[in-house]
Amino acid sequence: MRKEYGALVVGAGISGIRAALDLAVSGHKVALVDRRPHHGGLLAQLDHQFPSDNCGMCKMLPLMARDSSSQYCLRKGLYHDNIDIWLNTELTGLEGDPGQFQASLTRRSTLVDPARCISCGECAAVCPVQVPNEFNAGLSERGAVYLPVPHAIPNHYVVDLEHCTRCWKCFEACPTGAIDFKLDQRDGFRVLAVTPDSTEAQELLSLLDKAGFPAVFALDQEKALDLLADGDPAGLLLVDMSMGEGVVERIINRAAELRPELPVVLLAGAGESDAAARFVDPEESPAGGGPRGAREWIAKPLEEAVFIPWLDKLHVRLASDEHLVFDVGAVILAGGFDCHDPGPVDDVLGYGRYPGVVTALEFERMLSSSGPTGGRLVRADGKPVRRIAWIQCVGSRDLQKGAGWCSSICCMFSVKEALLAKKALGDEVEATIFFMDMRTFGKDFQRYRERAENEEGVRFVRARPHSVITDWQGGLNVGWFGDDGRQHEDGFDMVVLAVGARPPKGVDKLARAAGVELNEHGFVATRPLAPARTSRHGVFAAGAFAAPRDIAESVIMAGAAAQGAARMIKIHDVLAGMQREEEPEYPDVSREEPRVLVAVCSSCPTLEQRLDLDRLFDRLERLHSVVSVARVGSACTAEGWGEVERLAREEKPNRILIGACMPYAYVPRLKELGRTVGLNPALMDVVDIYTPTFPGEEGPDAAGRREREVYAALATAVARLEGADPVPPPVTVNVARAALVVGGGVAGMTAAVAVADHGYEVCLVEKEEELGGMCMRLYSTLEGGDPRKHMEDLITQVEKHPNITVFKDSRVVLSQGTAGRFRTAMYTPRGALRFEHGVTILASGGRESKVYDYGFKVHKSVMTQLRLEEALATGTLDVSELQRVVMIQCWRSRDEERNYCSRVCCSQALKNILALKARNPGLEIVVFYRDMMAYGFKEAFYTQARRAGALFVRYEPERKPKVGFDGGKPVVTGLDPVLGREVQVRADLLVLSSGVEPAETDELVEIFGVETNRDGFFQEAESKWRPVDFLKQGIYLCGLAHSPMDMAEAIASAQAAAQRALRILNAETIARETVVAQVRHSLCSLCQRCVTACPYGARQVDLEHGRIVVDEILCQGCGSCAAVCPNSATVLTGYHDGPVMALIDAALEEPRHVETPKEREQ
Amino acid sequence: MDAQATQADAGRRRDAQTAPSVAFEPTIVAFVCNWCTYTAADLAGTSRMIQKPNLRLVRMMCTGMVDPKYVIKALLSGADAVLISGCHPGDCHYINGNYKARRRVKLLKEILPQFGVDTRRVRLTWVGASEGNEFAATVNSLVEEIRELGPIETRGLKAL
Repeated sequence: MRKEYGALVVGAGISGIRAALDLAVSGHKVALVDRRPHHGGLLAQLDHQFPSDNCGMCKMLPLMARDSSSQYCLRKGLYHDNIDIWLNTELTGLEGDPGQFQASLTRRSTLVDPARCISCGECAAVCPVQVPNEFNAGLSERGAVYLPVPHAIPNHYVVDLEHCTRCWKCFEACPTGAIDFKLDQRDGFRVLAVTPDSTEAQELLSLLDKAGFPAVFALDQEKALDLLADGDPAGLLLVDMSMGEGVVERIINRAAELRPELPVVLLAGAGESDAAARFVDPEESPAGGGPRGAREWIAKPLEEAVFIPWLDKLHVRLASDEHLVFDVGAVILAGGFDCHDPGPVDDVLGYGRYPGVVTALEFERMLSSSGPTGGRLVRADGKPVRRIAWIQCVGSRDLQKGAGWCSSICCMFSVKEALLAKKALGDEVEATIFFMDMRTFGKDFQRYRERAENEEGVRFVRARPHSVITDWQGGLNVGWFGDDGRQHEDGFDMVVLAVGARPPKGVDKLARAAGVELNEHGFVATRPLAPARTSRHGVFAAGAFAAPRDIAESVIMAGAAAQGAARMIKIHDVLAGMQREEEPEYPDVSREEPRVLVAVCSSCPTLEQRLDLDRLFDRLERLHSVVSVARVGSACTAEGWGEVERLAREEKPNRILIGACMPYAYVPRLKELGRTVGLNPALMDVVDIYTPTFPGEEGPDAAGRREREVYAALATAVARLEGADPVPPPVTVNVARAALVVGGGVAGMTAAVAVADHGYEVCLVEKEEELGGMCMRLYSTLEGGDPRKHMEDLITQVEKHPNITVFKDSRVVLSQGTAGRFRTAMYTPRGALRFEHGVTILASGGRESKVYDYGFKVHKSVMTQLRLEEALATGTLDVSELQRVVMIQCWRSRDEERNYCSRVCCSQALKNILALKARNPGLEIVVFYRDMMAYGFKEAFYTQARRAGALFVRYEPERKPKVGFDGGKPVVTGLDPVLGREVQVRADLLVLSSGVEPAETDELVEIFGVETNRDGFFQEAESKWRPVDFLKQGIYLCGLAHSPMDMAEAIASAQAAAQRALRILNAETIARETVVAQVRHSLCSLCQRCVTACPYGARQVDLEHGRIVVDEILCQGCGSCAAVCPNSATVLTGYHDGPVMALIDAALEEPRHVETPKEREQ
Repeated sequence: MDAQATQADAGRRRDAQTAPSVAFEPTIVAFVCNWCTYTAADLAGTSRMIQKPNLRLVRMMCTGMVDPKYVIKALLSGADAVLISGCHPGDCHYINGNYKARRRVKLLKEILPQFGVDTRRVRLTWVGASEGNEFAATVNSLVEEIRELGPIETRGLKAL
């Protein structure tokens, strides 16, 4: 199959979804593929995410044109007009150049026809296989035919062919014949066997004959190749290794020339397996069987019980797997990460041996309502859990286990899990976290940790436990060496291993397929100052695929990748050849009497068995608006749907109601139906009538109640449809196609260029006289980029860009309006100017915070890290003359005044240490620190600094190092926890890690009506899912104004913000939403309660006309306004009071007793 | 409104007369939010967690749009109890709709006793999208409680 897309996104985890949505909302067609059978990646398994301990993933869904995407829980499913989701699909090759890539993909069939599967579960009930269930992290078992996640939409069973025993039970049990093992295609699958042994050939023939596979054999290579040359329709070539390697090689090569796609399998006798394995080279042979290698080899002698099921599986794979080719403009890799498997390598921790030792993921599954224990925290042996220990850095920061990096997320998820455990089990739970450094470097993470410690009573112990030993009662004794150098031990009921992030399985294969390089840690290599760019032009990396990252960072990085892809699509004009689908126009039926067609899907056997359908239909027909009630075979299949379509054409209803299962799965289909029969999809509905008929409580009245419930569900939906408002046609909005960027630092300039490159006018306002901001003070980065050159290039680009106007030494003074239509006034050296723009990006940056103590600004020997970097780069400091340097970290960070981690100082210190040591290896460096925040791959530089001989001395915030001066030279006194006594260090230089604080935001907060957090950084709409949006639409934030971040992260956030902004700039017409608030002005008393109730600021008082106006771009249809309105003047379309009241009545109406035709006969 | 309510009452009475052996089965109207609880209810249904089938789900976009008059209307139309269920605090898709619901339900519960309606007949809970079993447990416990309370007496409310 060949298709065209703007972009291909590989990996449908959170980053993939974000990138795909970002592209889709700006009008690009996207293929979103995942090798797993479900979307959502790791987050499908996690119910709670730090730092808010909630989910809220649905907040990623589009805010504008909401009807183009799914409007339900994003963990359940995703649907967007512009996104095609391909599950079980892997990228196998990427040819061509940016703008015109040809991506080859293989889609593994699930062997269950989604058009037929009704998710009844009959197949899983009979499957005899039991294998660990991946969804529950192996804590429960599943069959070989199973549901990958319990909550997905649509949720179809899949066959795991690897574990299937070919017992055919599911095939027989399936009531709809959805499971397809390609039995009928067997006789077309001809096996050509090449073997010199005629008895063997005869045996093989009879074996194949018995199983229904046609076969032919050749006794030598000539015969076999002649057959192939004559066009023999063989589907498989079996080659016996006993003919000798040379002959086999010739056969394989010649066969590849004659029939490139023909799979070759080798038969290896005793002693030939090594030779056979050499032909099966995974490097050379892609999954489909490569031209130069064999697909696989099997051992002789062939046993029927093994060989036939193997051949059957091979046949099924070959017959049902699909090869896809997509023409795409750009590729985004979002492969995510895998959790470290603490199997035998972490044996000292007792994982897999003691029932109470679990991984963090297993623990999370246990806490989940949909988990193996239904949310109860119990050990496998049933022992109650009271004391829980978390052990950090299992498989991270551990060179012995090949992980020289920090996984960045474990500290926070352990704190989260401790809090969740306290919430689930109450205060009697004792939670202890063993850690090396508590890396709470993200926005608001430090406060989260402190809340856990001070308010929730989580115990933090700084140690790396060396062993976990069980006692005779099953308790777990954790042993560690404390700071005091002594051995400690404590008993726990459960030990949770905070397993680190690893590159995902198959990353090398994916990297090879996409033609990108991996870094030394095995993750995808990206450029130091272009964190979304891989080694291949046009291929971008998003999320944790390039480095371990939490949700917020992954989302930002996905936005940056989407921006890169969008730029690529724009440059190469990929969309030019694609046709846009016209928005359909529907006839106006609002003045017609409602005529409802009710179609009831009666395919599920439970429905017929447990309900009297005739009576139900009879009752429904008595509803006055129902024109027809029809029974449809299987609404979820193509035939069933065709029947609905036919009925709709015949009956010409103006409302359609379908009674079936899994209503959400029908959303895209209703849209399609709307197009074909010319009826607005807002006037159609699907209700679940299947669930009430599941076997459950039985009793004398159970049948009656069941019937009442199904009737109520349908009658309620009829009532809802009667009062449904048809959606008005799309409106053309007058969007000012220009952007205002406030701040001319690296973030502001990057965002400006990103927007301007799309052809929109940008106005960049900088308060200083020069562009550049903080980054002008950077001379190098840890990862090896050249910030100076980057900044010089960027400034040139900005100043010369035809679409960018730069105002230096200028300030914004006033801004009015809403998304799409802002009017802003600014003071510039040229005088006061007015600018109209559709979006605003705030990148007001931050600055080095300064506190004048520790002799700073008094003694020349005291300086900040930034100043040291400058001195080193410009050569004003002679390093060879220095004897000893002392650095103090967290100088006024993470204390009462500024209770957040400045994130960049530890890497800044490491950078300076390595620079100092490179010039003067004998130089003594002592660093006083609290927690080294060397997150991600920065950990490697921390290791490097220690190896270079820098001495790291930890201090507690209660006992900060004291600084004195002796002859102008600093003398630092601090408590060394390892030595257990005070140390005094005399140094030539004292370097202070000064931390980052936001530039003055007060003025901007007032001008733009945005918010800041406690620390003065801008407050984003949602910390995880919308990290670069303000709650007020049309305004975005990036760079240091968001939170402390390094240069690469600032660049990524700017690109992400630009991509979000492009959504509004790209909008020409805005489709009206199905659910949106309206005001009935004649009833409105202008009390303005709705204005304050609206969380989106979508309501304003129009003083001129004396009425309340609703901004259609901003309104999200939550209905808060309608609920507060004392006059019912504000209404939500589809939820007017009248219809809601009618709906409640319908739900509670007791159906009158109706005689069924059967009863009448009696 | 009254006529329909009486009709429903009559229906129930007839049911009770025709089948005196059947214990009182309360009918519950649940206003659930589209994002969290509706998903949980769906999960509870499709995962075949046992639920007593006397629940009438009314899907709202957000608990913040549940007007107290809808609750009163449901009680008047024959519901023995009303369940309002949405996202956990802080988790609202619409930022703060569930807090608004919480305030409203608190006020509503102040008023109900004056009309002779037990406040236990209106329950507000938070059920997240993955908490299918939580939803089933909530419904089951409410059914148990209302079964003990007996059918609703709406004479006081009708005076409204």
